Amino acid sequence: MSPLARMILRRLAVSVLILVVVSVLIFAATLLLPGDPARAILGQQATPERVAALSEQLGLDRPAPERYLSWLGGVLTGDLGYSAATQGPVTELLGGRIGASALLLVLTALVSTPVALALGARAAVRRGTRTDSAVSGTSLVLAALPEFVIGVLLVVLFATSVLRILPSVTIARPGEPVWARPEQLVLPVLTLALVVIPYVVRMMRATLSETLDAGYVEMARLKGLPERTVLLRHAVPHTIGPVAQVIALQLAWLAGGVVVVEFLFRYPGIGQALIDAVANRDVQVVQAITLIIAAFYVLVNLAADVAGILADPRIRHSSTGGGS
Amino acid sequence: MTAATSAPAGLLRRTFRRRQARVGAALTLLVVAVALLGPVLGPLLTGYGVDDFAGRPFRAEGLAGTDDLGRDVLTRFLAGGGPVLASAVAATAIGIVGGAVLGMLAGYSGTTGSRLDPLIMRGGDVLLSFPQLVLALLAVAVLGSSGWLLVLVIGITHIPRVARVARQATLSVAGQDYVLAARMYGMPRRRILATEVLPNITGPLMVELGLRLTYSIGYVASLSFLGLGVQPPAADWGLQINENRIALTVAPWGVLLPVLAIAVLTVGTNMVTDALAKESADTTGGVA
Amino acid sequence: MISPTGAPLSRRRLLGGAAGLAAATALAGCGGPAAAREAGPPRRGGVLRVGVTGGGSSDTLDPHSPATNPDIARTLSLYEPLLHWDDAYTLQPAVAESVTPEPGARAWTARIRAGITFHDGRPVTPDDVVATFRRITDPDDPKSGASQFGILDDVVVASDSSVRFVLSEPSPVFDQYLAEYSCGIVPADFSLEDPVGTGAFRYASFTPGQQSAFVRHDGYWRPGQPWVDRLELINFSEDDARINALLSGQVDAIDQVPLSLTEVVGSYDSVRLLTSETGSWLPFTLRVDVAPFDDVRVRQALRLVAGRGELVEQVLSGQGAGAVDLYARFDPEYLDPAREQDLQRARDLLARAGKPNLSLELVTSPIQAGTVEAAQVFATQARAAGIEIGLRRVDTSTFFSDQYLQWEFAQSFWNTRNYLPQASQSSMPDSPFNETHWDDAQYQSVVRRARSELDPRVRAQLVRAAQRIEFERGGYLIWGFPDRVDAHQAYVGGLVPNRTGLSLSGYEFRKAWVSA
Repeated sequence: MSPLARMILRRLAVSVLILVVVSVLIFAATLLLPGDPARAILGQQATPERVAALSEQLGLDRPAPERYLSWLGGVLTGDLGYSAATQGPVTELLGGRIGASALLLVLTALVSTPVALALGARAAVRRGTRTDSAVSGTSLVLAALPEFVIGVLLVVLFATSVLRILPSVTIARPGEPVWARPEQLVLPVLTLALVVIPYVVRMMRATLSETLDAGYVEMARLKGLPERTVLLRHAVPHTIGPVAQVIALQLAWLAGGVVVVEFLFRYPGIGQALIDAVANRDVQVVQAITLIIAAFYVLVNLAADVAGILADPRIRHSSTGGGS
Repeated sequence: MTAATSAPAGLLRRTFRRRQARVGAALTLLVVAVALLGPVLGPLLTGYGVDDFAGRPFRAEGLAGTDDLGRDVLTRFLAGGGPVLASAVAATAIGIVGGAVLGMLAGYSGTTGSRLDPLIMRGGDVLLSFPQLVLALLAVAVLGSSGWLLVLVIGITHIPRVARVARQATLSVAGQDYVLAARMYGMPRRRILATEVLPNITGPLMVELGLRLTYSIGYVASLSFLGLGVQPPAADWGLQINENRIALTVAPWGVLLPVLAIAVLTVGTNMVTDALAKESADTTGGVA
Repeated sequence: MISPTGAPLSRRRLLGGAAGLAAATALAGCGGPAAAREAGPPRRGGVLRVGVTGGGSSDTLDPHSPATNPDIARTLSLYEPLLHWDDAYTLQPAVAESVTPEPGARAWTARIRAGITFHDGRPVTPDDVVATFRRITDPDDPKSGASQFGILDDVVVASDSSVRFVLSEPSPVFDQYLAEYSCGIVPADFSLEDPVGTGAFRYASFTPGQQSAFVRHDGYWRPGQPWVDRLELINFSEDDARINALLSGQVDAIDQVPLSLTEVVGSYDSVRLLTSETGSWLPFTLRVDVAPFDDVRVRQALRLVAGRGELVEQVLSGQGAGAVDLYARFDPEYLDPAREQDLQRARDLLARAGKPNLSLELVTSPIQAGTVEAAQVFATQARAAGIEIGLRRVDTSTFFSDQYLQWEFAQSFWNTRNYLPQASQSSMPDSPFNETHWDDAQYQSVVRRARSELDPRVRAQLVRAAQRIEFERGGYLIWGFPDRVDAHQAYVGGLVPNRTGLSLSGYEFRKAWVSA
């Protein structure tokens, strides 16, 4: 086996281990729940008989390790548990929502990546000019703003006060997928894109600047190649690794960011389901969604690291992991 | 050693020679001043107390109208900055202190081949596999929403992120002659870290401080906005946005004032941090 | 956030809308269908799409366990009880042509309406009625309506068109229990997979937490009704989404416009508000068996602290009526005593009770629009009297967890009821929801006598006596009766103000039509 493959496999093993520990953590957290979940779920209609029946259904009478194993077994076989609030399988509740959130992420990535790369490259090539300081300044400001601040400002601009051209909430008619009304997707995607773009811009600018100063680019210039060719043939390819890494990390970051944005725009994805479940203390749904988000996070970080390993063998021996 | 203790002051002085840092500091101070003086100035300015009713809900009475309970929006805005600032500072403090200690321990023991380093860093990896906000939501789902819980969760989730930076910086310092010399003289680890390592990694730590403060403000405000932070009837910017956003069309100030304040504050801290990072990178020649 | 898709809202239009609101309320006060003019005369056909507040994945089609607003709306569309409360909150026959007591009121007989059929065309038989009540009171799985049937010993077939209810004690008001919406008559072989009733609409589809659809029941017994061919109920958990859906024309009607936003919504030309006085109430609950509320002086002091007018202004934007610690405002015997805010007397009472610097924790939860707001306003008022009230806000499921009925100082929400049925629900030792742990021997004997008193005049006196006791030493602090404001498109007709506390004409969509 090549050292590279071994390196990647090791990184993979670490991710699996982290996921197992994360699952234990998520499961253990729910053991701290005060009160009797069955009673909480039934609310005003809680009779002792019903509480007992639901407790059995939720398996609350069994010891914790046993419950963990059966929960994990269920998760691995696609059974995310039973939602107390919906009185149905969690998978049913989340089915369409995972797709809706994924749509938001994919659209955001599709919109933000080319824009960010182009802006970053432009700023790098024109270092020190007004273009550069405008791009850098704007991304510095945007990078500072919490996502709900950007979202509210966009709503004021485009939906309620200044212009009134876009809807500020997502209304899903029965049986209609979220993309049936594309205008409803504009503001959520724009918000997430504005949140992500500055990071990618800054990374692209920094990496490309470094490359442009590097010896081989200088060599290419000295050979008399046109600047355009120098840029596209010699400089840009060297930025692919680090930039791919940043894009992957930003996708991971988006998995958390969608929660607030979905809440703000009433977007029917897993983020809004998470907020609802937290408010309802719907334990198994909270478990399922945090696990899904954590798994996504770990996987994308893994992808980022693998991209990093592939692009730059020098980092093989540094530490693993990612995060912002 | 003398050079080490004067380093942070020098770094700060050089940082504030940059216009960006001065503008950032001015913006930050503006919002901090509003947050600190607002509770006193508000009633003088508007004639209403924080809990006074100025009219029916969502009317245009007063300078900025009334909120969801008919209280004066401007008064409550002026009174609402304290909780955000206090929580953000507390969470940042937890993150920086915890992260610096653990990161230095990990970095230092990494050079001695101790098992402490992988233990700390792998433990951090587990925390790093959650977006910070999601971890906070998990905590709220389990323990109920309360201000101190969120401060604690945000602070704790900062720790591994700060620890990474502190560890990296420590690794680069730990091989220096003065550290090796201290070790040879049998100086205890605690003293080496406090007197030899810490003063030499203040640059990266100060950058982290600014970064974590900016993020903390965002998280604290976001959680209040989600209705999971500060609870009514407290005056708080995040909560104020949550309470009034339904009437954004008719009474926009209840949302806009706190949104703008948070925006100015985070932009301000980020500008200072960015300048600090550039200066710190120039000084150490490292990557910020 | 309301994002209008119509013409932008100007200050002038807002004021114009406010005037329009006043006009609509005035019309509604006359009892006529306020929206009929715009909607034209009743018309058959079309689809009615309604946005309903709340609901979630625990939504059900169970006729006997409706919990959320969408549940109740579905129940009232699919099923009907023997009797029903009309818009003026008086009892009217429904599945039963008549329900009459036998002398002594220890047994009641219900005569089933001739020719009434279920959605599948089968006639309603006495066996179906008996099976319905067996299902409600099933000891292994009692439904939410079961608690009020504690005195029901047996239901038996009396003839081929009537059933007899045998009671364990006399009850002259038993017919009121039969009119609860959670007592819909279903066939003996009822199953949730085939939700058949006698209601104006037949089941078409149902997705919990999202929407349900119904089609016209052509064999419905009320002539002409229902007017529309199809009814769609769409859940909205958030106020802004519901209002946006109405303003953008995605739905034809919505329930529960937040009272602070009625003027904004009403200012749209295409929209009509439907304002109903209700007997619903949002009390503060003081547990009379724990300190400091076990001291009647503390309870009375808190009641004197409440500025009822200010609460109605700030919490309900002035849309509602003040209350004076008594419920059942539409009961013919409702006492309407006076109790003004009197901070000085409150302080005196507290001083005499030895609790001059009272500090309390009030548990609040968004269990109904206005509860958390009311808690904040009351806490503010109490501070003026030197009482420090800290709010502990919990989510709804925590509120209704095992601590529900144990909270010492909390809030509650009830819909319109007459005095005795409400007292049976919440003020007697055997009440399922005695939130205040109210246990007053004199009160109980008065209520017990009233419940089985056959002479209406004596019963009236007893009901008034019971109210006086609650007014003097009860554990409820009742500050107001909120109006219910719903909204619909101008082209929707037939929806009229309704006193039950249920939205949109009591969720009786059989009355509504849409103009072409």
